[in-house]
Amino acid sequence: MIRKPLLAACVAGLLALTAACSGGGGAGGEGDETALTYLVFETPSLTAKFWDDSIAAAQAEVPGAKINKIVAPSTDRDAYAKQLQQSGQFPDLLQSITPANFVGAGLLKPYDKTWIDANFLLPSANTLKGEVYIPPTNSQIVPQVYYNKELFTKAGITAPPKNWAEFLDACAKLKAAGTTPIELGGADPFAASMPLVGIISADILGKNRNWLQDRHADKVKFADADVVTAVRKYRTLVGNGYFDKGALGVKYADSITRFTGGKSAMYPMGSWFLGSVPRENADNFGSFPWPTDDGSVVVPFVGGGSMAISAKARDTALAEKFGQAWSLNPANLKALIETDGAFPMIKGKTLDDYGVTVTQVFEDSYAYVTEQNNKVNAIGWATNDDALPPGLNDAFYSSAQALFTSDDVAGELKKLDDAWKTATQ
Amino acid sequence: MSGPRRRRRGTPDRGLALLAALALGLYLVFLVLPLLLSLRSSFTNENPLRATNDFIGLRNYTEMAGDDQLRASLKVTLLLAFGVTVAANALGVGFAILLNRTSLSYRVMRTVAFLPQVLSGVIVGFVWQTILTQNGVLNTALMTVGILDEPYPWLGSPNAALLCIGVVVAWVLSGFTTVVYLAALQSIPLELHDMASLDGVRGSQRFRTVTWPMIAPGTTISVTISLITVLKLYDVIAVLTAGGPANSTQSTALYIVKLAFTSDRVGYASAVAMLLLALSALVALTVTGALRRREVSL
Repeated sequence: MIRKPLLAACVAGLLALTAACSGGGGAGGEGDETALTYLVFETPSLTAKFWDDSIAAAQAEVPGAKINKIVAPSTDRDAYAKQLQQSGQFPDLLQSITPANFVGAGLLKPYDKTWIDANFLLPSANTLKGEVYIPPTNSQIVPQVYYNKELFTKAGITAPPKNWAEFLDACAKLKAAGTTPIELGGADPFAASMPLVGIISADILGKNRNWLQDRHADKVKFADADVVTAVRKYRTLVGNGYFDKGALGVKYADSITRFTGGKSAMYPMGSWFLGSVPRENADNFGSFPWPTDDGSVVVPFVGGGSMAISAKARDTALAEKFGQAWSLNPANLKALIETDGAFPMIKGKTLDDYGVTVTQVFEDSYAYVTEQNNKVNAIGWATNDDALPPGLNDAFYSSAQALFTSDDVAGELKKLDDAWKTATQ
Repeated sequence: MSGPRRRRRGTPDRGLALLAALALGLYLVFLVLPLLLSLRSSFTNENPLRATNDFIGLRNYTEMAGDDQLRASLKVTLLLAFGVTVAANALGVGFAILLNRTSLSYRVMRTVAFLPQVLSGVIVGFVWQTILTQNGVLNTALMTVGILDEPYPWLGSPNAALLCIGVVVAWVLSGFTTVVYLAALQSIPLELHDMASLDGVRGSQRFRTVTWPMIAPGTTISVTISLITVLKLYDVIAVLTAGGPANSTQSTALYIVKLAFTSDRVGYASAVAMLLLALSALVALTVTGALRRREVSL
């Protein structure tokens, strides 16, 4: 007698639980709200609170949207988005992904071009095959070389190097003064690749800004003599002992604290590092572009931005409205500028309009964005037509780590060509 | 009277059949079906980010012959498998002999010895990362006592990183092997030891002539499971080195995941997974066969 009511209660409970679960994740949500999933990633700068606050602010402008946040387990949100896609859970909105990885499968919906043209300084910064999948709300320089002024002075260096010869001279003086000249967080593949991104951007893309398009068209190769010559510069830096011998064991987060703690004098890194410059002695840090042979300025530029929209989102129009609201929200941009070193790219607004407090090194770095100079798409970081084929970034990072210990520059670059061929077959 | 008796006999049979069907069903759904799907995928150029995928016959399998990364990952996997199996089993035998007592303190120590096996590979990876990283616990300790002048790149040098992974995985597996060898030691009849004592057989000679042959079945189980565990090793490496530096610690399992989710080559990743499956089966069968023959001969 007791069993049947108990069984009935259990079944009822299970049904109620199932209904509650499907209600939360399904299209209905509460009242007239439509639930949208939003893939984000957390870093020391982009914290859980930042995402929650930014979502709440954008939601307030888009009635009817209920955002369910999904946090990628690492900063590699592309890989996680692919895993979610494989398991039939591709998010409705995806923050800062590489659209080139997903557009081929028809997974992304482009933004309305009129809206893009009306709101952004460089509307075509993220253009991929004529469409914009990520609003170009901000930009980055990847990499810039940040330096410690005090350590430079101690080593007898009076001004930041303007060309490759001066750069080598500065490295030699710093080493002689007992300071590690260049910091490298080589345990994290993306961080290990920073000097290589700088060298290829300065020496190859600086001379031929269409080089990546030419590589896509098979007109040039990584194993070409000019690329090999350029990359040998990296081996020169390693061979001369300008990096810590154990740099491949240093995590990215540790590389920041080592550099800001004065254990090394220079740090080639993306401009998001500006968010980690210690406020208390920010004036001790400066920046300069990765040096070229002739001293000409080449700026490896990345049109960063906000979120992409899934073409299969539950309500693509609502998802686009949310993406637009998030992208133009001044509070979000303020947080990105202050914590992630983002350079704002919204039309009609100056830094002052965001009410931000930035360091001098931020303003000096930002000047390279606003000035007329030779801007090229940073290899491995571009999200437009110059993006590398899927999987190539990983091969590029791996080559950067391998070149730290191997002198076979031509062999490593040939491997990249082989990987390119496989990726585009 | 006969009717109800037949029903009583039939009820447990039906119950067992239901349980067997459930187990078989789960086995089919979660093991055989994915295996068959993976096998099918290995004959295609499946890419989750492409609209259509084609049947390409044996092309994925022929491509493997010229794949340097695969070759390197197999070398890493086999090196780890054999090195770790030997180390973990040697540790297991040693710990088991030391802990083969019945007092409370030994029971506590047995629990401590088994602890690494209970921890998730991800947690183990994070814990050892804090120990082995450039400014980690190990370098700090060695520099404090004056053994090192500057930090050693335990995870930043290809050979050292592979050695570190071997040590960590051997430590984890030693928990399991200790328990297996303890059970094997405790199954040895005390009379055998008494007789050996009467014959004046002691120390290493007793271990060689009595203990070692008697724990042979435990060795077969421990070695086989250790080998299989390391052949499919992913989690500890993913956290500790992510296969770096420069793929020098990339196991085949890690390579498969990278192929599928970074390079989007699910078809080729499936083919490599089939190779790893065949290799694991071959190694496991060969080693088990050899150890079973040894059990008989001892």
